[in-house]
Amino acid sequence: MRQIALYGKGGIGKSTTSANLSAAFSESGLDVMQIGCDPKHDSTRMLMHGQWIPTVLGQMYEKKDIQKEDIIFEGFGGVRCVEAGGPEPGIGCAGRGIIATFQLLEKLSALYGDIVIYDVLGDVVCGGFAMPMRDGYAQEIYLVTSGEFMSLYAANNIAKAVKRISGGRAANCRLGGVICNAKDMEHETELVAEFADRIGSKLICAIPRSKTVQTAEINRMTVIEHDPASAQADVYRRCAKAILENTGLKIPSPLEPEELEELAGKYL
Amino acid sequence: MPENISERIPEQLSEKRLGGCTLGGAIAVTSFISDAVTVVHAPKGCAHQVFSMLHALVEEASLPLLPPLLSSDMSDREVIFGGEEALSLALDKAAAKNPALIITVSSCVTETIGDDSEKVCRAHPAADKIITLPTAGFLGGRAEDGENTALLALATLAEKCVPLPKTAAIIGEKNLETEVEENYAEVERLLSRLGISVTLRFCRNIQAAEIGKLGEASFFIIRDERVFPAGAAVAKRFDRPYVAEFPRGLSGCVTFLRDAGHCARIPEEGIERAVRDEEAYQKQMLEPFEEMRGSSVYLGAQLMEGTFDAAREAMERLGIREAPDGIPLKLPFYLPVGVSGMMKMLYLWRRRIRG
Repeated sequence: MRQIALYGKGGIGKSTTSANLSAAFSESGLDVMQIGCDPKHDSTRMLMHGQWIPTVLGQMYEKKDIQKEDIIFEGFGGVRCVEAGGPEPGIGCAGRGIIATFQLLEKLSALYGDIVIYDVLGDVVCGGFAMPMRDGYAQEIYLVTSGEFMSLYAANNIAKAVKRISGGRAANCRLGGVICNAKDMEHETELVAEFADRIGSKLICAIPRSKTVQTAEINRMTVIEHDPASAQADVYRRCAKAILENTGLKIPSPLEPEELEELAGKYL
Repeated sequence: MPENISERIPEQLSEKRLGGCTLGGAIAVTSFISDAVTVVHAPKGCAHQVFSMLHALVEEASLPLLPPLLSSDMSDREVIFGGEEALSLALDKAAAKNPALIITVSSCVTETIGDDSEKVCRAHPAADKIITLPTAGFLGGRAEDGENTALLALATLAEKCVPLPKTAAIIGEKNLETEVEENYAEVERLLSRLGISVTLRFCRNIQAAEIGKLGEASFFIIRDERVFPAGAAVAKRFDRPYVAEFPRGLSGCVTFLRDAGHCARIPEEGIERAVRDEEAYQKQMLEPFEEMRGSSVYLGAQLMEGTFDAAREAMERLGIREAPDGIPLKLPFYLPVGVSGMMKMLYLWRRRIRG
């Protein structure tokens, strides 16, 4: 079983990328599970044809004896979909919620398959959101970023977390690479590729901005399902293949803020 | 040469060990209001820890007190989704017991997840009898911060009023020390030399309604520097003088008499008469220990500041010498209060010296 986690700035397209990667993996015959680790609980929505599935934490709030079928739902291509969920904004501790979700999934022996994808909230804001990296869950971390400075800044911060955690009790956690989810900036792919190189990693794939994505989402589907013959679907398939073939897992060397600014300035 | 333990204990380690949690400090105050219920907004373990400690101490002291604590019983569910509902339910249970006062204390867990305990208390049907203490567990500081927070909040229950002459209220007794009653008796003994009576022990074995009498005292006696912030603030609020601490050892009794006498506006000749009587009393009390005169002793660790000074003063009066090869003696854990505190120490010393 390969366990991978996608991290990146909020709104950068992690859920869209995760869902399309899950769809692509399943298309190639793999047994896939996708776990949304964000209180927004919309990670798997396109795999579930727009359905908001009950969240793990919502079920924990409602009932004591939770079974797999209460929290695991089958989506497109047989992908098993889970949403951690979280408290209402402004109360409680979402980070602890993520930890509790993992503890429950472990207890139910629900973590299995060829590929488990963790789609994690925008940034590593606390130890709870680092959970997928810790305790031997995700061994491969992929940073999703555009060429925008703040997006790179967030990706660099996550690289810092990977570095810290890989030196601790989850010594098998490594950075798998960087995924460029483009915003149509000039020289964007080159910028993200150089960023990946400078932190000691590599660009896994570049996903161009495409109306196909918006169209698929309006129709509550992944691109792979809605428009399987499209160029964008092939992009996701190539990205999934690159991840499957990726063996270059590294402990990153995050940049200093000045280095990051210098890099971003170079491509302006 | 006997080893002096205090030289081996890093100061910080000792301080950290004594620091404690605000929850324990606050509850050590609130539990001694017999008709109040304290709601501990925390996982049940926090309430259990404090309850066990208090229960063991009151059992030891044979006090008819079962700490009236209720826990909001937070679990993982409350940590993740917020504990405000759990607090509200705990307040319901507390209110059902119809106590005179409900006091809520918050823990580090509730502070970490951002529960608004005060809002919950304000919105509760029993809000008029609820006092919210923002103790916040370790995030609020040490145990003494919890005590100060509790004393300050509870003092708001008392209105300003005309002081009664020759009266004092005591603020912040150490409810958890084993000598608390002996120490109080010593203070009461000294005050009686000046004709001063104690109107309120704030908060030691009182009822909630008695807190209203706080402002009746013509001056305050603060237990020690630990609760000085609350004591001084209360004194300022009621515009009354205060004595900053219980008497330290023998000469501390004389200082205490003079300070208390001035606070109560006792005429100078009355104060000096009380001082003379006290000095004669001390001389008489020291007589049984004369047999220790000429002994050589070595003092052990001082765990509370000022204990060395109090002990050395007694040694000087009794002609006991301090020497590196002297008989090792143990100093009391707490600074001895007045003559009774010194007597207790001297009894133990005499037994040790007699072998």
